[in-house]
Amino acid sequence: MNKTQKRALFTLSISIMLIAFGVIIFNSMFTPGDRTAGVKLVKVWIWLVLAASVGGAVFAHRKQRASEVNNDERDNYIKKNAVLVSFVSLWFLMFTVSIIPGFVAGDTGSIPVPLLPIINMGVFLIAMLVYSVAILAQYGWGGKDGEK
Amino acid sequence: MVKSELKNQVRRLRFENGELTQQKLADRVGVTRQTIIAIEAGKYAPSLPLAFRIARTFAVSIESVFQYQETKTSPSPTNGKS
Repeated sequence: MNKTQKRALFTLSISIMLIAFGVIIFNSMFTPGDRTAGVKLVKVWIWLVLAASVGGAVFAHRKQRASEVNNDERDNYIKKNAVLVSFVSLWFLMFTVSIIPGFVAGDTGSIPVPLLPIINMGVFLIAMLVYSVAILAQYGWGGKDGEK
Repeated sequence: MVKSELKNQVRRLRFENGELTQQKLADRVGVTRQTIIAIEAGKYAPSLPLAFRIARTFAVSIESVFQYQETKTSPSPTNGKS
């Protein structure tokens, strides 16, 4: 498994965890009762996203092995395709999250302000997830290429 | 319709050159071992500079390593009917 695959796996696992946590917070904001705990959880979630971004950046710049080639033209080609797929998914997601609240809450409805970071950053997290899946799919999910 | 295919002799040349491992070839041409595997399997067509580097590693011409083939496929009988 090369560096690009490891990074994609790292991003995939972190994205899934953060999206799952975001969904739990999202649901808690709509359950009847006190929203204070939910608002606190949103702040925790934002810090976790920030920590994951910094951690991911550090992980991405760590060299695998001094003697080994970290990145080559095929990796760049795969990443370029993955960026394209993720960009298209970002467009669909942005369109969807812009439309759905209107349908759910109605023309005069409202949504809690603390949910906005979860909705907006969630869209980017899903785009990151798509990016990682696109990379892993192009490498044949990690095993096939490296084991021959 | 024209179908193109890029064949290669990398695997054969590796064995003819002292059973050069995929990793050693990858190190010499500056790519990862996975890329060599993908090229040998015909899953990835290398760039022209990489193709030249591979050919020079084996001290042969680029066409001795990579062969570009085009085959014409006839359209199915249902095509073109309204």
